[in-house]
Amino acid sequence: MREINNKMLQRLYWKRKEFMHAVKRFDRTQQFIVLFLTLLSVFMLLPIVYVFNHAFKPLHELFQFPPTFIVRNPTFQNFIELLSLTQSTFVPASRYMLNSIIVTFLATVGMVATGAICAYALSKHRFPGSKLIFGSIIASLLFAPETIAIPRYVVVQSLGIMNSYFGHVLPMIAMPVGVFLIKQFIDQVPNEMIEAAKMDGTTEFGIFMRIVTPMVMPAIATITILAFQNAWGNAETSTLFMQEDAMKTLPFYMSTLTSNLANSVARQGAAAAGALIMFLPSLIIFLLSQRKVISTMAHSGIK
Amino acid sequence: MAKKRVMTTKVYSHLEGMLFMVPWLLGFMIFMAFPLIFSLYMSFNNVKVLPTGMKYEFAGVQFYKTILMGSAEFYDQLIPFLQEVVIMVPVIVIFSLLIAIFLNQRLKGRFMFRAIFFLPVIFSTGAVLQQFMDQEEGGLGFMRSEMIGGFMDAYIGGSPWGKPVLAVLEHFVLVLWYSGVQIVVFLAGRQTIPASAYESARIDGASPWEVFWKITLPAMSPFILLNIIYTVVDMFTFPSNPVITMIGTGNYGYSSALAWIYFVIVLVFLASVLLIYGRVNRQQRM
Repeated sequence: MREINNKMLQRLYWKRKEFMHAVKRFDRTQQFIVLFLTLLSVFMLLPIVYVFNHAFKPLHELFQFPPTFIVRNPTFQNFIELLSLTQSTFVPASRYMLNSIIVTFLATVGMVATGAICAYALSKHRFPGSKLIFGSIIASLLFAPETIAIPRYVVVQSLGIMNSYFGHVLPMIAMPVGVFLIKQFIDQVPNEMIEAAKMDGTTEFGIFMRIVTPMVMPAIATITILAFQNAWGNAETSTLFMQEDAMKTLPFYMSTLTSNLANSVARQGAAAAGALIMFLPSLIIFLLSQRKVISTMAHSGIK
Repeated sequence: MAKKRVMTTKVYSHLEGMLFMVPWLLGFMIFMAFPLIFSLYMSFNNVKVLPTGMKYEFAGVQFYKTILMGSAEFYDQLIPFLQEVVIMVPVIVIFSLLIAIFLNQRLKGRFMFRAIFFLPVIFSTGAVLQQFMDQEEGGLGFMRSEMIGGFMDAYIGGSPWGKPVLAVLEHFVLVLWYSGVQIVVFLAGRQTIPASAYESARIDGASPWEVFWKITLPAMSPFILLNIIYTVVDMFTFPSNPVITMIGTGNYGYSSALAWIYFVIVLVFLASVLLIYGRVNRQQRM
């Protein structure tokens, strides 16, 4: 008996030693991982560093080859140039800004809300034909966006929504990536939970709002970022569907800064400043929603 | 009587579900599905834009013939791109899975790292990356430098895969920047695995390696599939890809035909990827 006890003790002792060893090794792995991630982070941050520095570069540094990351002689010249350019336009630049804000807000809300609720229906109501619909959503993902530009023009024209906010927002609303991504996440929500909520007399909309949405918040937050990106940077609807200058948006204006000019040097500074101004809202939206991306799922009861 | 009642509730619930889909589906039909079918129609026609409107002259399969058999330009663009995609998709998916698992560990400054690795989400679609690539910052500068370039040339430069491999190495930074959404998806997917599964595995004495293969990977399977599809789609529809730049010509009939050919290629590609994935997955389960 005692022998066995001894053996067990010994084994326990070894286990403990092994455990301490493992902890130490774990520590070293962690240090390695942190180092690895830090190295990669540098690459991740490069574009941002670049955009910020580019906007403050004086003209001769903008065209330096090989291009530099860090500005040597920072200057506000580019912003001043951009400001003076915006004052000489036929339509005040603030109008473009206002259009952009309205369009981006409506389109983002539209894309996320309609996409999420559609994804819920597709995922949890398997009515006849839902497979076909999902199949066609995936198929539509596979097309180059250029394919539909011209037919879309015909559609928008015949609907009579040219030169209106509808013309900006409606074509953007159907975002197949959004439905696809959110649906795959809703598939992971256990059916029992929805059944239980139904037993308790929650309405379908209530289930969607109070049970499904919080659970798939990471997907929704991701799609919000993507949708915002799409809407905010979209110059296509302005180019194709808006003939009136007063209805065009900021990205369109930014793209006119450097196009249609005789030489490619002029206004590059203003364009660089413009790129920073266009980038800042995306960064802010990102910083606001990225926390949502990760923190919600863990506490939402899926576990 | 009771049965009938059940049926009606079911039908009612289906109707409610359909009602939820109406807004999005309407937009999809009008601005996605219809234009796509219309472009199929255009691809068989000679489209002329006249002041009075569009004029269509039936052209049959003429454009398809020109693209597929007329010249080698299409294949010259397509084949290197396909090779690149074949390499990039697994690299991106595996890389993002690895990063997601790293980011899920208790590290110092985990929140900061997470934010940084999601960051590509905001510039992969935006103008920033485009601007960056215009400046030819897309490839790694030092990859092109004499030493590594010469080394690569000497060893794999001769084979037909030499070029795509080199391209992938040059695009290493792009891999990082493409994988934003994928990392988010994997991280979120990782959260769905209950901690108790890991706990019981640890009590049973499973090594971290075994835990990864027996618990993490199988549970992540739906998310891996999701990411494969997302990556393939993302790669094929990225605006800077060479075939898409070919689509943007003035001849609408020709561009539509090209777009549909491209679509079929992407579809076949995706289908075969899914088939392979299904096979591998089934084998693993057995």
